[in-house]
Amino acid sequence: MLALLCLLALFLYRDHPRLTALQKGAVDVVAFATGIILAPADAWARTLSAMDSNSELREELLRLEQENRVLKGRTQRLAALLTENARYRALLNSARDIEEQLIAAKISAISPDPARHIVVIDKGVQDGVREGQPVLGEEGLMGQIILSGDFSSRAVLITDSAHALPIQVNRSGLRAIAEGSGALDRLLIRHLPISADIRVGDLLVTSGLGGRFPSGYPVARVTEVIKPGGAAFAMVTAIPTSALDHGRFVLVLQSTAQSEGES
Amino acid sequence: MAHSEASWAIYFSLACGLIVMLVPLPVESRLLRPDFVALILFYWVLALPHRVGVTTAFFLGVGQDLIEGSPLGLSSIGLMVATVVLLSNYQRIRQFDAAQQSLMILVLMILSSGIEQWLRDGINVPAASWTGLIGLVVSALCWLPIRQVLRYFRRYYEVT
Repeated sequence: MLALLCLLALFLYRDHPRLTALQKGAVDVVAFATGIILAPADAWARTLSAMDSNSELREELLRLEQENRVLKGRTQRLAALLTENARYRALLNSARDIEEQLIAAKISAISPDPARHIVVIDKGVQDGVREGQPVLGEEGLMGQIILSGDFSSRAVLITDSAHALPIQVNRSGLRAIAEGSGALDRLLIRHLPISADIRVGDLLVTSGLGGRFPSGYPVARVTEVIKPGGAAFAMVTAIPTSALDHGRFVLVLQSTAQSEGES
Repeated sequence: MAHSEASWAIYFSLACGLIVMLVPLPVESRLLRPDFVALILFYWVLALPHRVGVTTAFFLGVGQDLIEGSPLGLSSIGLMVATVVLLSNYQRIRQFDAAQQSLMILVLMILSSGIEQWLRDGINVPAASWTGLIGLVVSALCWLPIRQVLRYFRRYYEVT
């Protein structure tokens, strides 16, 4: 009886709203419980950081201020470029740029399932996180939200072997699909013709096709291009630009005009 | 109630198994984590087959799926089949010595996770690669310490 119930749940009612609601509740519980488990470790880390010497902190502050100044300098140029870009777009009569908002979040748990690359982040529906929103790391795209509970959500990383995303070679504009390989440092780009213009070291950015990921975010760097003689397709592997297993802080991208992109 | 002797001890130990799953490990070393949930379940089935059975395995599997974020029911079926095997052989397995018992646990682990991987293939959820077997061997090696701890726990609280 129960086995039948399982099979039904697996094959027929996998996306049943009640089951999904249960899973959403579970995300919140998991995040909360993991928080409790990690509380001693966090407290220890806080104690350690509280004991940092004054001079160290001052040094750190100086470094951060410097970094901040550099970043601000870059944004100045960005603003100018954005307006310039908007003017060109207006001239070309093309769609307006989608405005994007960022939600800062922290990775609060990692799924224990070794076959998947799924993490839980500490922001949910209450903070504006929805399913399908891209998750960014410091250096590039990390993944996307697959399930959002009230206070926390589950995100799948781009290297999960069930994940694939449309990309573009930054240098040549060549479009392709980057599939997760199940290993944290490898993305696979399959079905590229042997003559495709792609080289080791090329930066891959999101292409924006499909409307899920906005275009232009760095995804990975090509590490290997194998073009076996006589084969129809090249075998290309790439390493994600953002270190997926380091750091706990991520950004969730909220595009205000997402429906426009999806249509 | 006939079976009211310290039921909490059983549920408490099973809950502990689920909570241990929550401890975040680095992504690449997760497969070394012993499957405490299954081990604790197997212990109780072996020790108290009249109290812990297929229903417990079902709910435990659902709990595991909720924590992992996999489709509900995925882990349940494997655990339930392994439990049925245990239930029909518990008298024999109790007589085994330590090594034989660990080996038996390994076989049960392979059975239950094999069923799970097969189901994953069926519903297009990524399945573990062969390296996943390392985790099962680690689990089987953990059987003896787990059995020792739980046996002490069971006798101390007189769970019958």
